[in-house]
Amino acid sequence: MSSSAVSLYLDPQIRDWVLFPITLVMILVGILRHYVVILLQSPPKKQPREVIREQRALTQSGVLRATAANSPIPPAFYKSISRQLSGAYEAGTYLKDGPPKKGDTPPTAPNPLSDPAAMDGMMAGMKTQMVMMVPQMVIMGWINFFFQGFVLIKLPFPLTLGFKSMLQRGIETPDMDVRWVSSLSWYFLNFFGLNGLYRLVLGDANSADSSRDMTTTPFSALAGPTAPQDFNKLFKAEISNLEFAEGMYKWSAEGVEDRILRKYGKITA
Amino acid sequence: MTGPTYTARTRPQTQQTLTTLLPLLDAHKLGSDDWTNLERLAYAALDMGRVDVADKCLTRLLAGFPSSPRVAALRGAILEASAPDAALKFYADVLELDSGDATIWKRQIGLLRRLGRVERAVTELCTYLDTFYSDAEAWLELADLYASCGHRYTQSLHALSHAQLLAPQNPFFTLQSAETAYTAGDLPLALRLFLAVVDMSDGDDADRERDAPPMGVTVRAWFGVKLCARRLKVEVDVGKGRGRESASGTESPKHAAVLEELAGERLRVAYSSAGRAGEIAQGRGEVFAWVAASD
Repeated sequence: MSSSAVSLYLDPQIRDWVLFPITLVMILVGILRHYVVILLQSPPKKQPREVIREQRALTQSGVLRATAANSPIPPAFYKSISRQLSGAYEAGTYLKDGPPKKGDTPPTAPNPLSDPAAMDGMMAGMKTQMVMMVPQMVIMGWINFFFQGFVLIKLPFPLTLGFKSMLQRGIETPDMDVRWVSSLSWYFLNFFGLNGLYRLVLGDANSADSSRDMTTTPFSALAGPTAPQDFNKLFKAEISNLEFAEGMYKWSAEGVEDRILRKYGKITA
Repeated sequence: MTGPTYTARTRPQTQQTLTTLLPLLDAHKLGSDDWTNLERLAYAALDMGRVDVADKCLTRLLAGFPSSPRVAALRGAILEASAPDAALKFYADVLELDSGDATIWKRQIGLLRRLGRVERAVTELCTYLDTFYSDAEAWLELADLYASCGHRYTQSLHALSHAQLLAPQNPFFTLQSAETAYTAGDLPLALRLFLAVVDMSDGDDADRERDAPPMGVTVRAWFGVKLCARRLKVEVDVGKGRGRESASGTESPKHAAVLEELAGERLRVAYSSAGRAGEIAQGRGEVFAWVAASD
C-alpha cells in the first residue's frame, strides 16, 4: 500500500494550474450566479384588495375557531360572528368576483399552461434554472475536455474502497489508492460542498448554491400556493368546520366568578 | 420592512434623533444604514414640526427609491403635515394604482379621522378590517372610533371582541372590553370580564397571591369588579328580580355581595402595601373612603 502511495508524484504545476483554477472558477461562478438571480428577480406582484380579501377570508374563521374551546368572548358575540361568517361563506361574499349567480356554470380550473399569471411564475423559475444549469454544464465540459483523467490531489487520510467511484470518477484503474482524487470528482466535491463557503460570503439567503436547485423543477411551483384554488369550495367546507367549533365553544369566563372566589377562600368546594 | 420601527414619541428623544441625524442631509455618499436613518430623520423632523428638513429627506429618498411604497408613505405623511387635503388626494391616487397597499390605506383612514370625516373613516376601516382581519391594532382603532365619536358602545364592544380573539392572552384588551361593557350598561358582562382580567393577570399560586398586593392592570380590574358588584348588589336588593337585563344575555352573578367584599379587601391590600407607601400615599385616603363607603 505504501509503495503505491510513493509511486505517484504530482507535478506542482497541476496544483497551480488545475486544482486552484477549478476551485476558484466554481466559487466565482456561484457568486456571479447569486447576483444574476437577484437581478432577475421581479418585484412581488401587487394584488388588488379583492384578491387579498379572498385569500385571507379563511383566517377570520381560523382565528375564531382557534380558541373556540376556551374562547375569550361571550356566547352572544361568538354566535353572531360565527353565524355571520357562515352566512358570508355560503353566499360567496368573499369571492373576488362577487357572489356567483344562479345560472352560472361552476368555473373550471384554468389550465396552468394557458393562464398568463401562472405562466409568469413558471418563467421566473425557468430563468433561475437556466442561470444555474448553463454555467455548471460549461464548467463540466471544460473540465472534461481539458483535464480528463487528471489526478489532482491526495487526501491526507485513508479511505475504504467504497469511495473509489466517488473520488476517482473518470479514471478507470482498479488498484490506485482511494486517496487520490480525479478532476471530475473534484468538480463534484466542490459542486456539493461549496454551500458553506457561500453562506459565509453572501449570507444565509443566498442563491449561489446550485446543488439545491437540482431537486426542484420549474413545474413544482404549480403544486405550491400559486396553484389556482377553488375558494368557493374551501368556503363551503369551512362552514361545517364553523359548526363543529360552535359545538365545542365554551366561554373562558364561564366559571370565573366561582374560580376567583374559591381562590381567595370566599366560598368552599 | 413595513415602516420605521415605533419609538416612544417623547419630545427630548425625538429632538435628539433630529440633532444626531441632521448631518446626514449634507452627506454626499449614503451607506446602506443611512437610508433607514434618513427615513427616521424625516419622521423625527415631522414630529418636531420641521417640514423643511423632512422635505429635503424626501427629495433624497425619492432619488434613491422612486417607486418604494415606504417612501410613498413618507411623502403622504409630509403632505399631511402641510396640506391635508392634498394628502387625501395623494392617498386616493396611490390606492387606485395599488388597492392592496395596507400602509397607505391605514394612513388614509387615520387622516380621515383627523379631518373629522368620521363616518367615512369608519366605513373605510371596516372594509380594511374585512380584508386584513388579523390587524389587532386596527380593531382597537375601530373600537375607539365607535366609542369616542358616536357613543356606539355596543359596536365598540363587538370590535374589541375581535381584538380579544386575535390576542386572547392580552389582559389589556379584555380590560378595555370590560370597561366598554360597563359604559354600555351591560353590568353582568362587565363584571365577568373584569374577573377574567383578574384571573388572567394573577398568578396561579393561591397561597402566595393572597398575601401579595395586586399590581398594575389587576388593581384596575379590582376597581371594576367593585364598581359592578356594588351596582348589581343594589339592584338585587331593590328587588328587580334577578338583577339587570344584560344585552349580551350574560347571567347576573350569584355572589355579588361577596365579590364586592373581596374586591374591597384586595384594593385595601393594594394601597396599604408597605413597599410602595411613598408613591401611593396621597391617594390612599380617598380609596379607603370609597371602599369603605359601601361596606
